Amino acid sequence: MRLEKCWFCSSTIYPGHGIQFVRNDAKIFRFCRSKCHKNFKMKRNPRKVKWTKAYRRLHGKDMTQDSTFEFERKRNRPERYDRNLAENTLKAIKKIDKVRVDREARHHAMRMKGKKAMERKEAAKELEQSIHMVKAPAALQQEASLTLPKIKVKVSQEQSQENRMEE
Amino acid sequence: MAASSASKLFRAGRSLLGGLKDPNGSIGLSKDLPRSYLFSQQQRTFIQMRTNLKVVDNSGAKRVMCIQALKGKRGARLGDTIVASVKEAQPGGKVKKGQVVYGVVVRAAMQRGRSDGSEIKFDDNAVVLVNKQGEPIGTRVFGPVPHELRKKKHVKILSLAQHIA
Repeated sequence: MRLEKCWFCSSTIYPGHGIQFVRNDAKIFRFCRSKCHKNFKMKRNPRKVKWTKAYRRLHGKDMTQDSTFEFERKRNRPERYDRNLAENTLKAIKKIDKVRVDREARHHAMRMKGKKAMERKEAAKELEQSIHMVKAPAALQQEASLTLPKIKVKVSQEQSQENRMEE
Repeated sequence: MAASSASKLFRAGRSLLGGLKDPNGSIGLSKDLPRSYLFSQQQRTFIQMRTNLKVVDNSGAKRVMCIQALKGKRGARLGDTIVASVKEAQPGGKVKKGQVVYGVVVRAAMQRGRSDGSEIKFDDNAVVLVNKQGEPIGTRVFGPVPHELRKKKHVKILSLAQHIA
């Protein structure tokens, strides 16, 4: 039993699922479900279809290079069954998955860094510029609580003295 | 081949739409549904009488038309034997045009279920000419073949094949 990858969306194909299409040049395309198969028949390029792993990797949305991916490489040599080896492999798979998920979460956090600050800045700007869409300017002037707090600027006293001097 | 298949699909789609009694519905459908919808609608079926198949060995025949599918009420599938008539042949081959031959279907556009639950399908319908005993007439086989043939005891064809899908 071997877990394959879907040619279109790169998800794993478990036994009993999906369709294999063999082209006349002996290239085999495996699909996990009819959605991927139909997209393939429509001749869509997976690198341009937003929800596929190919697109996400290409556009930097998901991790591309990581040492945890080395463990999932395709191996063609069958291993002699060894109970200890099988047990250790299962434990390792669990641990590697955890590490990989953590690293992906970190990659996502790095990607989304600064989003909150940018959102707040944009919201403040919109409030300043487009408040007239929500409340009429006349109403804003009447009720002091609706406007943003006015910043008081200190004007120096020396200027008024200068005027007196001129007179 | 792509153009002809596209036109065939379009005609098939048209006939599907023509079958609808509602005139508004048919017009609406032909406008709303993109061409791609008609592509996915193509239903692949069995190999039956009058089905043209490609011959993928060097027995001399090029195209063959199915006369009878031995075994199977609705038609032959991947790995079944058929009786066929040679429609097109190479000038100096072992078979001549108009000859009635047996063949084993090695590639079928209709998907066939495997015992592990997955399905496999090929790009076209292809056949390898065989004698009454099941031995191939030709000495080479081109293109991929499925390993369903092993269960059907066509081991000789598998041994001649370049690639087993």
